[in-house]
Amino acid sequence: MSAESASAIPRSQVDLLDFIDWSGVECLNQSTSHSLANALKQGYREDEGLNLESDADEQLLIYIPFNQVVKLHSIAIKGPEEEGPKTVKLFSNKEHMGFSNVNDFPPSDTIVLSPDNLTGKPVLLKYVKFQNVRSLTIFIEDNQSGSDVTKVQKICLYGTTVETTDMKGLKKIEDGH
Amino acid sequence: MVLEATMICIDNSDWMRNGDYSPSRFQAQSDAVSLICGAKTQSNPENTVGILTMAGKGVRVLATPTTDLGKILGCMHGLEMGGEMNIAAGIQVAQLALKHRQNKNQQQRIIVFAGSPVKYEKKVLEMIGKKLKKNSVALDIVNFGEEDDAKPEKLEALLAAVNNNDTSHMVHVPPGPNALSDVLISTPVFTGDGDGGSGFAAAAAAAAASGGASGFEFGVDPNIDPELALALRVSMEEERARQEAAAKRAAEEAARQEKGEESSSKAEDATMTDHVNDSASEENKKTTDDMALGMSMNISGSGHAIDAEMLDATSEDQELALALQMSMQESTPSDASKVLEDQSFVSSILATLPGVDPNDPAVKDLLASLQNQSEPKKDDEPPNESK
Repeated sequence: MSAESASAIPRSQVDLLDFIDWSGVECLNQSTSHSLANALKQGYREDEGLNLESDADEQLLIYIPFNQVVKLHSIAIKGPEEEGPKTVKLFSNKEHMGFSNVNDFPPSDTIVLSPDNLTGKPVLLKYVKFQNVRSLTIFIEDNQSGSDVTKVQKICLYGTTVETTDMKGLKKIEDGH
Repeated sequence: MVLEATMICIDNSDWMRNGDYSPSRFQAQSDAVSLICGAKTQSNPENTVGILTMAGKGVRVLATPTTDLGKILGCMHGLEMGGEMNIAAGIQVAQLALKHRQNKNQQQRIIVFAGSPVKYEKKVLEMIGKKLKKNSVALDIVNFGEEDDAKPEKLEALLAAVNNNDTSHMVHVPPGPNALSDVLISTPVFTGDGDGGSGFAAAAAAAAASGGASGFEFGVDPNIDPELALALRVSMEEERARQEAAAKRAAEEAARQEKGEESSSKAEDATMTDHVNDSASEENKKTTDDMALGMSMNISGSGHAIDAEMLDATSEDQELALALQMSMQESTPSDASKVLEDQSFVSSILATLPGVDPNDPAVKDLLASLQNQSEPKKDDEPPNESK
């Protein structure tokens, strides 16, 4: 069964790009010339020619921490028809996962992408499971055609923030202020 | 200075009893291991190192990744040799040990000492390599000891499967007089990926690395005699600096030659004006002129050209020499080029020069460049009529 697409992003949901903590972003099994930045970062992800590609085999494990707590509503994944991802498992708040322990925990959500989803339409997630997300792990298990290389052109996360303090934004109050 | 967790896989099989490395293969290996542990912990205090043995009854982890150097060196004692090396199991256990490291921010690295024959197939090793690469584990292989036909090929295949952006390396150490540790110091196994290495191996590693993989700079082994190597290097640099200064001074000499009327123009004498009347430079005239002229050709748009001509002219015509001298002394040292402004003077001087044809295009270019200098004319030089 393919995942249901949203027709449009509800107005309250924002692109969570600004809340990603880039210093902690990791991707296992990515090819060095086609790295995660090509799929996530503003500018790179809009470029059709720049993809995130897998290296040794077709699986990819992406770890994205956020700098504040967010609620995740939907995710849009864009990729080529043949080598785009098919089965995608999402884990919330699990740090430093490896390929060996992805199957040890149940994922917070599993989506199976159809070629239609791969055009970049956002896919609704189980919102109730993603109410309190500090970090997100995306495990791409296989791709559409079963080839050895998985290509992802764009990953977009949509959601809202919970009112938490961004510790980095705290500034010391000057004396005599 | 990369934050790293390292697992060292030691070969303690029966093949290690061999004495082709002094004192024995096993001892050489132990020394190398101790050096590596020291280097890793020194390059970054948070680095951890662990040890496991691959042969004996089975793969056995002697120490999980720890910062405690004493514990690591202690567990190297009393190791027994025997059995056969199980490289596949060894690497896999090492990977597992690294997975459960305490500090997840550390990069993962495995160093394998492969001293005995590898009994696994290339395919199996490639699979293991791929798995390591997938989990971003780097692998260093030290190939020493037993020389088997298929061994280098298998290890190369393993390295190729693991290697991601040159983070993994392989080192071949043939048996010989050099100790295993000495050879390793100059390799990337020790120095890390271009970081330059740890404190206590940095000088040796840098010197050896700069001298090339196999040779040493100045023919002196920096490991054996670091002070000598350092002294040689320092003296070489001093010599180079001195030569540069000498060359610079020689250039300045040519600039002041006509003022100084130097007979031995190559002398390092700054007070040229003392030798104003000394024009007996017959024997050196030719060479000096050619050299000075050559220099003047190279130095475009400067006042040196006229100096060469001056020198030549003065040798032939004493009165002219004196006159020129006086005019030179009147002007400031940097204004030597004022004389050049008199075009007719310049061309007449040039005509008197042996071997210089005023119609030569090079000479014409030079004249043109001299003309472009915007200095006030100083017409107090008597024109040279002796054409």
